[in-house]
Amino acid sequence: MNWPGFSAIANAWWLLLLIPLIIFYFLKLRRPRVEIASLALWQSVVNDQRVNSPFQKFRRNILLWLQMALLILLVLAAMQPFFVGGSARSRYLPILVDCSASMAATDVESGNSRLDLAKERVREVVENLLPDQRVSLIAMHSTAQRLTEFTDNKRILLDALDQLTIRDVPSRLEDALRMTQALARTVPVESVLVYSDGNFPQRVSFDLPFEINYQQLPPAGSNAGITAFNARQAEPPNWDVFLRVEASAALLGTVGLWQDGQRLGTATFVLDAGQSQRITFDVESEISSRLEAKLEVDEGSFDSLAADNVAFLDLPTARPLRAYVDPELKNYRHALRTAENVELFPANDDRAVDSDVRSAAYDLVISSKLDDRGIDAVTRLFIGAIPEDVSSLIVTPVVTGLTEFIDWDRSAALLQHMQLRDVQISEDITKQDDVEDANFEAAGYSILAHGNNGPLLLERRTGATIEYFNLFHTENSTLPYRIAFPIFVSNAVQIARQEAGISEVRASKTSVLPSREVAADTEYRVVAPSGESETVRSGKDGILNGVAAFESGRHRIMDGGSELTSIAVSLLDSAETSLASVEQIQFDELSVEAADELLDTDRPLWSTLAAIAFIVLLAEWWFFQRPAVS
Amino acid sequence: MLRPFSRCRAFSMEQTSSKPRLTGLLSNETLARVERMRLVPNRRRTNRAQGEHLSGKGGTSIEFSDYRDYVAGDDIRRVDWNIFARLQRPYLKLYSHEEEMHVTVLVDASSSMRSEEKFDRAKQLAAAFSIMGLMGGERVSVFACNHSGGGPEMETRMAGRVSTRRVFRFLENLEPSGDVPVEHAIESMLRLHHGRGIAIVLSDFLTFGDVSRSFNLLYSARLELFALQLLGPTEIDPEITGDVRFVDSETGDALDISSAGELLGLYHEHRLGLEQYLGEQSRKRAGRFVSLSSGDSVERILFETLLRQGWVQ
Repeated sequence: MNWPGFSAIANAWWLLLLIPLIIFYFLKLRRPRVEIASLALWQSVVNDQRVNSPFQKFRRNILLWLQMALLILLVLAAMQPFFVGGSARSRYLPILVDCSASMAATDVESGNSRLDLAKERVREVVENLLPDQRVSLIAMHSTAQRLTEFTDNKRILLDALDQLTIRDVPSRLEDALRMTQALARTVPVESVLVYSDGNFPQRVSFDLPFEINYQQLPPAGSNAGITAFNARQAEPPNWDVFLRVEASAALLGTVGLWQDGQRLGTATFVLDAGQSQRITFDVESEISSRLEAKLEVDEGSFDSLAADNVAFLDLPTARPLRAYVDPELKNYRHALRTAENVELFPANDDRAVDSDVRSAAYDLVISSKLDDRGIDAVTRLFIGAIPEDVSSLIVTPVVTGLTEFIDWDRSAALLQHMQLRDVQISEDITKQDDVEDANFEAAGYSILAHGNNGPLLLERRTGATIEYFNLFHTENSTLPYRIAFPIFVSNAVQIARQEAGISEVRASKTSVLPSREVAADTEYRVVAPSGESETVRSGKDGILNGVAAFESGRHRIMDGGSELTSIAVSLLDSAETSLASVEQIQFDELSVEAADELLDTDRPLWSTLAAIAFIVLLAEWWFFQRPAVS
Repeated sequence: MLRPFSRCRAFSMEQTSSKPRLTGLLSNETLARVERMRLVPNRRRTNRAQGEHLSGKGGTSIEFSDYRDYVAGDDIRRVDWNIFARLQRPYLKLYSHEEEMHVTVLVDASSSMRSEEKFDRAKQLAAAFSIMGLMGGERVSVFACNHSGGGPEMETRMAGRVSTRRVFRFLENLEPSGDVPVEHAIESMLRLHHGRGIAIVLSDFLTFGDVSRSFNLLYSARLELFALQLLGPTEIDPEITGDVRFVDSETGDALDISSAGELLGLYHEHRLGLEQYLGEQSRKRAGRFVSLSSGDSVERILFETLLRQGWVQ
């Protein structure tokens, strides 16, 4: 049996008021006077032993007892007693509430979402908050958002809880825990409450400095959703459009595809639990168009999550890749001339490059001159050029020597499917003494390939532009004579296509809007599908990026009163659609299992005692006011 | 034996209805009926004086009582010669002896009798008993005690119809006051009283003392006790709840009672216990006891309660 605890036991001193209460009671006791013929009979009654029994003595002073009971109850209430719950009691209690997309999944019977259930349970915790306890509410989705400071103000907490809404993004427990860790530096945090459906990565890279009480919410109903939506250019103007549909339970339904509001077709899917199905559509689009896919389950089936039933994809205008290749790089020009859907500039290898050609916009620039960084392109590949900002890190001028590829990033888009082991380089690219790889990274470069003495290939992304620097000249190597060379060129073309969005487009996911090129240093208003708007400012490079997109749907970028452009984002997350649930969170050093029982919070008793005191007060009032003699 | 009806002195109802009231204590109709009633004592306690009451000793009246064997020294004038002639043995003829009985009425006139018409009812009953005595040819004395230490007010040795006005005047002028307990009142009365007969005590008998000594004194004085306890309706069945402070009407003493409603059961037990005690004490001394409610009319008390219990006839 758990004895109740007291939050303000010092208030027990008020019990000393019993002494003056008793004194005043006997001093001030007023009884109605009733004259009777003789006291003889009543005196004999009072002298009766039964009257003087302990019980009768108690009854004789029942008003005093009522007053003492009232005082004791009030003092007990002031001492703020509470029943100790099962969980360890913390003075500062951060509560992490998952509000990712999967928390919108509803029950078949009640129709309540996981977030509704979490709110209900958190509300219970807040309602039973003890006077010395402080709670901070933290929303957990793709990032962590602190809703309240540590406070005991129930109104603030409940208001914040009511305003908590679903974000159509996956949840990242790690971010929320790191925010909590930051909070723990200001106040002593012993334990953290986590309310979630468990739809987050099982492994979390985090060293727990506090205990975690993981309150896993019960699973929702079945769900099916679109988890991938992309298109690849076929023979212009045709596009192959791919959709991937997944389900958490055996479900069947249809997926319809709309192009600029026109229904293109419908495909049926039949899925078992955990299965996925790829659906293909053939779409003709000469100019840019907007695709929208909608998923519907058959009647009789239940789909618990709505956010993953719609996906958006913007198809660009079908056109060939525009590539500018330095006329001196004949190997590259030769390789690109035979490539499909590539328009090569300048067209003639021997002709001098005029200013019109240089000032035009391209999708890909391949050059050996750093001056060509001024050509407008989203993808640039420099051969045998060392950027100025890393020239101090490398021994220049480059001397002749024999160099080999020691290691390279095989997952890099530019180097995939390439074998560089037998490539010989007659230039010795050597980094300066005391220069580490981190120095290149500090300068904004990623090293994609390492030679004997230093880096051989660098990558740098600046806004919407990606640049590659091959530090050695390929003509001073055996690369052009290896099978890796056409693959290298093909990879560059493929990257350029993707960066330009003309060969393959993928539907954007929620969380952050894709970057857009707009006017530099200008304020825009981004209007979410729900109508909420946010004012953002573009960078000096004219790139609008880092705009949060927590809702699935089309976000409009408004320049003043007019719509500049719109960007559609979709959930497209396999984990969220599957409604998978993690029973155990694996941290770096330990694992935390979901609690078996609902959180048994400390239950304050002061309100109950106050209610009883009020009843006693009423009883006393009745007892005092009732007619003494009728 | 008391004779049930006085032969010629009874008022008829028809005669009294048109006359003005003789007293404020009793209506004319009640008075007329009371005049025809007589007290019925259990034992024959009479004075030597000639009266209507037959002496148990036998006597000189003409009413035959019994025969007994003649013994030496008997008055031969009482020998029934007819029997002697028939049986050849002397038998003495015995006659009932009629003697006077002294009816003493004691009214408790202490302050405790003021409430709930107890004193009014006591005066009415005292008047009724006195009329019965006077009309029965008895000698009647009325005492009223109120203050401790002070002598009782009294109207003694009245006899005959002519004394009725004295009785009424005496009773009508009585006012309740004082704190004399009933046992002291009896003793005070006995110090002034002479004669055998009946002692009618009208009181609420709510006393802290013990009545047994005073009852013994009554018995020793050859007075048959007629004890009538008069209680008010709220004394018989009080409706009291909560915390109250009772104040004694005689002494002014206070008694605090908490949760009086819870003690009513005990109160009834003690009240009935007092009645039982007074009844036992009375019966031990060949007396009678009855507890009456002052809420009942004097007619109901006289013509139903007491008549049915054989106190009067």
